[in-house]
Amino acid sequence: MDLTTLFHQRLQNTQEIGKPPSQQRSLGIQKWLNGLIVLLFFLLPFFPFMNDYWIDVAFFVGIYALLGLSLNIVLGEVGLFDLGHTAFYAIGAYTTAILNTNFNIPILLLLPLSAVLAGAFAYLVMSPVIHLRGDYLCIVTIGIGEIVRIIIINNPWGITNGPNGITGIGVPQLGSIMIINSTQFYYLIWGLVAITIFALIRLQRSRIGRAWNYIREDEIAAELNGINVRSYKLLAFVLGAALAGITGNVYASKMMIISPDSFLFMESALLFCIVLLGGLGSVPGTIFGAAVIVVFPEIFRQFASFRLLFFGAALIIMMVFRPGGILPRKRGHLGLEDLGIRNLPQPEEILIQNGKTLVQNLRVNPSKTSHSHSSTILETRSITLHFGGLTAVNLFDLQVKPNKITSLIGPNGAGKTTLFNIITGIYRPNKGQIIFQNEEITGLKPHQIVQKGIARTFQNIRLFPNMTCLENVMSGPHCHAQTNYWSAILRTPAQHQEEKAIVEISSHRLHQVGLWEYRNELAKNLPYGKQRYLEIARALATSPQLLILDEPSSGLNDKESEDLMELLQSLVSEGFTILLIEHDMNVVMGVSNWIVVMDMGSKIAEGHSADIYNNPVVIEAYLGKEEE
Amino acid sequence: MVIFFEQLINGLTIGSFYALVALGYSMVYGVMKLINFAHGDLFAFGSYVGYTILVWNSGRITQIFGIWGGMAVTLLFTFMVVGIAGILVEKAAYRPVYPAGRLPLVVSALGMSIFIQNGIMAVWGPRFQAYPSESVPSVSFEIFGIHITLLKIFILIFSLLLMVIIYYIVEKTTFGAAVRAAALDRETATMLGIDIRKVIFFVFALGPALGGMAGVMNGMYYRSIQFNMGWNYGLKAFTATILGGIGNIPGAMLGGILLGIMESLFAGYFPSGGAWKDGFTFIVLILVLIWRPTGLIGEKIAEKV
Repeated sequence: MDLTTLFHQRLQNTQEIGKPPSQQRSLGIQKWLNGLIVLLFFLLPFFPFMNDYWIDVAFFVGIYALLGLSLNIVLGEVGLFDLGHTAFYAIGAYTTAILNTNFNIPILLLLPLSAVLAGAFAYLVMSPVIHLRGDYLCIVTIGIGEIVRIIIINNPWGITNGPNGITGIGVPQLGSIMIINSTQFYYLIWGLVAITIFALIRLQRSRIGRAWNYIREDEIAAELNGINVRSYKLLAFVLGAALAGITGNVYASKMMIISPDSFLFMESALLFCIVLLGGLGSVPGTIFGAAVIVVFPEIFRQFASFRLLFFGAALIIMMVFRPGGILPRKRGHLGLEDLGIRNLPQPEEILIQNGKTLVQNLRVNPSKTSHSHSSTILETRSITLHFGGLTAVNLFDLQVKPNKITSLIGPNGAGKTTLFNIITGIYRPNKGQIIFQNEEITGLKPHQIVQKGIARTFQNIRLFPNMTCLENVMSGPHCHAQTNYWSAILRTPAQHQEEKAIVEISSHRLHQVGLWEYRNELAKNLPYGKQRYLEIARALATSPQLLILDEPSSGLNDKESEDLMELLQSLVSEGFTILLIEHDMNVVMGVSNWIVVMDMGSKIAEGHSADIYNNPVVIEAYLGKEEE
Repeated sequence: MVIFFEQLINGLTIGSFYALVALGYSMVYGVMKLINFAHGDLFAFGSYVGYTILVWNSGRITQIFGIWGGMAVTLLFTFMVVGIAGILVEKAAYRPVYPAGRLPLVVSALGMSIFIQNGIMAVWGPRFQAYPSESVPSVSFEIFGIHITLLKIFILIFSLLLMVIIYYIVEKTTFGAAVRAAALDRETATMLGIDIRKVIFFVFALGPALGGMAGVMNGMYYRSIQFNMGWNYGLKAFTATILGGIGNIPGAMLGGILLGIMESLFAGYFPSGGAWKDGFTFIVLILVLIWRPTGLIGEKIAEKV
């Protein structure tokens, strides 16, 4: 499509593609509403019905809101079950209490130190267990929470003062102002909440937040799209713990006395409920959840011993009738403006064009680099993998020529996908080497292999179902981006530039596979065939040298298969190398430059289409031997 | 050596409580993929039901049936009451939430746990309650200088018997095969004609009922019970479940017994071990998970890519 046609189309489509006016207005209202809420929080202590008692209640809502937000990073954003979050809170509180009472270090100076120590503790204890999944991680976090509490109770070296706790913790001092009364503490905690929300929203709307969400949606697909799953999970835990540590600091100085009783398992369970009650991943929801948890028992104070009974029942009733929470995070038809990247070029077609230019500049033509050294881009040397007694892949040698389509075919169970899994780093081979662009990549982690330039799709589609198509594709450029969480919070120019490039490249790739009109649709809502294309677009967005496709045409009808063949051809002419597993012989014979046949884990033949078609060994593998 | 054997027997006794509670966790987890946080509190509930029967009309049951007969009646009655409670818990808190996914289910389970715990407190009060001494057998004797009470022996034998029965039902009967199939793949099992409601009914009746009986025996063993004792036991029993391999019946038994023995030996031999033993338990758990994430006799399950 040339620029003139594009321009023409743009003129015609502006009305449809530009933001609908109603949405613009609702954004304006949203801004006003946010301002009003902030003002309300600011003026709250001055309302006539607020006495010190209720200001303290509001302070504790702030404490639980901050804790809820900190847990939300781990539970809501990354989807890791953490039922021991109180441990980090306790470490913050005890760090503050011990250092303040023994060495008289000012409370506010201990605020960052509490964060650092809680974060460091989280890093230390979570590193060895972060690979555990679901309920296993959940029980480990429960264990960590209990261990911390038991250590505090047992008073090691006399520093925690055992079950009695520590008394006489000082008050924070800001210059000459002592933060001592309820109103001052109220402002302190809600100021921290405000800063946290500000930072959290910026993180949510950056590649860091997206990476967390990719992991939540599908951990394996995330890793195989170049996201370092382990380090992002740890980052979430460390940030969450640091935030909980900060909360512990404020809590200790407000209470002036802390004891192990404040850090029971029940507390962790409450935090878990706050996040779920409000709505997973939703900032207003978390604050609302905190308010419910704190204010509910206050309202039912006259029922004293029955109030927790009611509370338990209320939790169940909530989950029966509103399992998504009170204020669930809006996820549905998201527009580009919801990505949180400022000054995206308008109209959106420019994005595609920019992306195309970017991609062309990015690409190092593989045929150029490889030709000078050797004529293969990927080579496996006697790859062998056993599963128990079964040899899934046996001494397999594969050579993939650059800028060509190589097909790997073979009967079901021949070991084709296993070989792909070895190449992409999911399995480590028992024997053999994998050489990619003259570099050994055997034993690298999947995300590192993606960075080197190998991307793949999956036999049974693995998308990020609850994210938009564009967001799905945006996981691709992630692995080449450099900026970290600090630049995401501060929105540095470099970070903004990078985010823009990510959107542009992704837009181009989405457009290339013909899914641009679905950009704001959730991936799970796409029909099957389109999901396959979306997966290809996502893989392309990692700017790979080698594209590995695992049965791309399965489930497609004839017309769709033909379109697919066309797409594959066009990708090759763009400079990609393709390695294909395919059962549809029309596709295989139609596009392959070279065919490798695999059976029972070994290579039984290779050659051009015509040779393979008539090869008796291949026919035998597929159809069995003819009776003599 | 005497200390060792005494601690070993103590460990076996506590371990059989853990094992009985762990069985319920494991069965429910198998079918529902849910950590039933209310399970520990059903154990505590069982303890209180047993207590109520024994103190009813100032020990009428014991007077009529004698100490051992009274114990049998109490265990049987508790078995039924807690079994029914288990079914009600499933109907009220889990069945309606199940379609919403796992996270709401966890919250619902936590809510149920809080509800039962505070329900016990509302009915029986927040203070310790003591099992009446005249209803608990106090016969004891010494073998090679090792002090053993008849109650411990009864607990060991009875628990073992229960475990053998459960093992037989789950591993050897057709219905047990249905339970195991449902645990492996609920959807496929349903499609193959297994009535999943029956399976759920079974695990939610039997699991808590076993836990309830363990609660009664625990009350007799320690003599004093409190409304919030379920948390700790639940946590320990769940640790035992993971230790043995979750969703795995023999694993739960093994995990429970092992955990009890490890705890007792640690408490007996480590300086101030009693205070640290809970921490020790969790450290062992974490190490096991690092070394063998699927538990001691769990199958390794690789995710298909």
